Amino acid sequence: MSHENPVRILASTSATKMIKSELNRRRFLALSGTAAGAALLAACSPQSGAGSSPQATGGALEGGLSIYSWGDYDDPDVVAEFSDELGPTITFDSFASNEELISKLIAARGTSGYDIVVPTGPFIPQMIENGLLSKLNLDLIPNIADMDPDFLGRDWDPTNEYSICKAWGTTGFVYDTTKISRELTTWADFIDAAQNEASGRTSVLDDPSPLLGIYYWANGIDWTTTDEADLAAAEAFLTTELAPHISAFDSYPGGAAIPQAQQILMQSWNGDARIGIMESDEPDRWQWVLGSPDTELWMDNWAIAEGATNPEAAHAFINYVLAPDAALRELDYIGYHTGGAGIEEAARAADLEMLDLVFFDEEQIKTMHTGKLTEAQQRIVEIWDKTKAAAGA
Amino acid sequence: MTVTVEDRAAPELGARAAPARPRRRLKLPGFALAIPAWAWLFAFFVAPVALVVWFSFGYKPGIFGTHANDVLSLDRYAEALSPTFFSTFQNTLWVGVVGTLICLVIAIPFSYWLAFKAPVSRRGILLAMVMIPFWTNFLVRTIGWQIILAPSGLLSTALQSIGVLDQPLEILFTRTAVLIGVVYNYIPLMILPMFVAFDRVSLPMREASKDLGAGRWSTFINVTLPLAKPGIIVGILLVYIPLMGDYITATVLGGAKGNMAGQMVANQFQTAQNWALGSAMAVVLVLTILTTVAIAALLSWLATWPLRARQRLVLGDKS
Repeated sequence: MSHENPVRILASTSATKMIKSELNRRRFLALSGTAAGAALLAACSPQSGAGSSPQATGGALEGGLSIYSWGDYDDPDVVAEFSDELGPTITFDSFASNEELISKLIAARGTSGYDIVVPTGPFIPQMIENGLLSKLNLDLIPNIADMDPDFLGRDWDPTNEYSICKAWGTTGFVYDTTKISRELTTWADFIDAAQNEASGRTSVLDDPSPLLGIYYWANGIDWTTTDEADLAAAEAFLTTELAPHISAFDSYPGGAAIPQAQQILMQSWNGDARIGIMESDEPDRWQWVLGSPDTELWMDNWAIAEGATNPEAAHAFINYVLAPDAALRELDYIGYHTGGAGIEEAARAADLEMLDLVFFDEEQIKTMHTGKLTEAQQRIVEIWDKTKAAAGA
Repeated sequence: MTVTVEDRAAPELGARAAPARPRRRLKLPGFALAIPAWAWLFAFFVAPVALVVWFSFGYKPGIFGTHANDVLSLDRYAEALSPTFFSTFQNTLWVGVVGTLICLVIAIPFSYWLAFKAPVSRRGILLAMVMIPFWTNFLVRTIGWQIILAPSGLLSTALQSIGVLDQPLEILFTRTAVLIGVVYNYIPLMILPMFVAFDRVSLPMREASKDLGAGRWSTFINVTLPLAKPGIIVGILLVYIPLMGDYITATVLGGAKGNMAGQMVANQFQTAQNWALGSAMAVVLVLTILTTVAIAALLSWLATWPLRARQRLVLGDKS
């Protein structure tokens, strides 16, 4: 081993002979063992706040890249091409809610090993404040010029210092037209169907905010409310009137529930609904409905985790997927608008499937509202918890 | 009678003049041999459990904190046992007890057959058939059942086509589906120790029992079963304990209706980030498991009391 990794010691000529004989293999191993132990201990100890991660400067790309994102949220072909062209091999891991992402990053305190994370907009300011995200070097992401300015500089990160739009979408529901013969159009219809035809065969998103959203949107209440009266009403409704009819908390019904016809009525995100309907043997059986009168507009963003070990590769990847060609293929795969400029025209020109689940007109967009992370968050999570427990009772 | 021990090596070496130096003895006390095991147990069992218990007395300080212990209280336990969450513990207990009983009903006859009735030459293959599915990833096996049990899945289509059902099978995302899943997933853990236990019951004992006039049933109850008891108990514990904490099977097959305590704990740690409440729930789960095992042990001891009393053999004249 000493041939590959010679130990170099600067010492006086008189001492070298002694050192040489002393520093035999055994001692070297003992020393390196101690050093490794110390490094291990150091790695376990919490790292202090911001500024500890190496900032990307445009140097050589690292050999690996670890992405912690929502499930099935990137086109495998685009990912494979990135690896072929630029080198880094990519590891994926997925979470089901922003809370899960944050809890993991907090628990790891900068040693999570994740490079790219994909939080939803409203969660970003507090993630920055708590030192969970590191600044982007926009010089390394020139393809940001291909983005539609409408989807840049949002409230949560006005100068895109930390994040760039990855995709945006909305929440609605899908129902089985062979089991529900009437037409459903609003959240009130969703609730009514859940309590009747679809009782015991209804799934809702496994995400606290849109779960409460069902009640708020149906009743014309602002879904970012922090009023305890609203929260209590939502809790009472969800745990006693909706929970008994819920059969699953499933954030991705498009994965199995729609293709296997496991449920009759499913709250779902538009892109996931599109994937599920496209994979179903009987696509005509399923009807997508955009939630109304109001619904959610969420925007997920590329960001780099504090303590990322592969910052150069992370920047290169973000830049790679923002290019118009890659963005269009991502859109076709995930079924969400990526925020790229002119992507709607490109998608229509390419004649991609089911674009009515991807693009929405201005009137529809007006009914979509972005969420907010408020002091009621803990209470919201608690209500979601109780709804889950009540559904199993 | 005297016993002489000859030192055969000494004369051959010609060391008669200088008596052989006594072998150096290890000075460490006997328990030193157990230190690695104790260190392991302490670092990976005692310390983490103590940490969980410690967290359970704390609270969640805010959205971006997971736990704080500056104010200690039992509030998290009150929360964990509040009616909403308590029903989940009841659910878990139901699935745990019924699942273990079903495993028992299947595993005892099967391992008995395997140990005594199956041809010895086939035994290897039969055991492999029990084991091989166990090598497949747990999650994949469970999702496999999701496909089988779906309303438009294999089982439903098959039952409909042979006319047993006239409408799709509505079993997925119910507690029944969770039961099917846990029995399938855990039964090898019960069959293996039971097979070993039955296999070690010596044939001469059973033959002696028959020679003394006991019937098949009587031999089974009075000889085979008591001798195999340790293996049966191990099998029950190996199934019951992990089953109570399982949350994968419940999530995949139970959906909302098969909610189990393991899922609740996972939710607290992952989504709610409330380590304090999650820890309290975990402690309640552990206590539930310990209590039920103790109750089961007591009940079985009481149940076999008359049997033991009847079989007591008194030697000699007491009067």
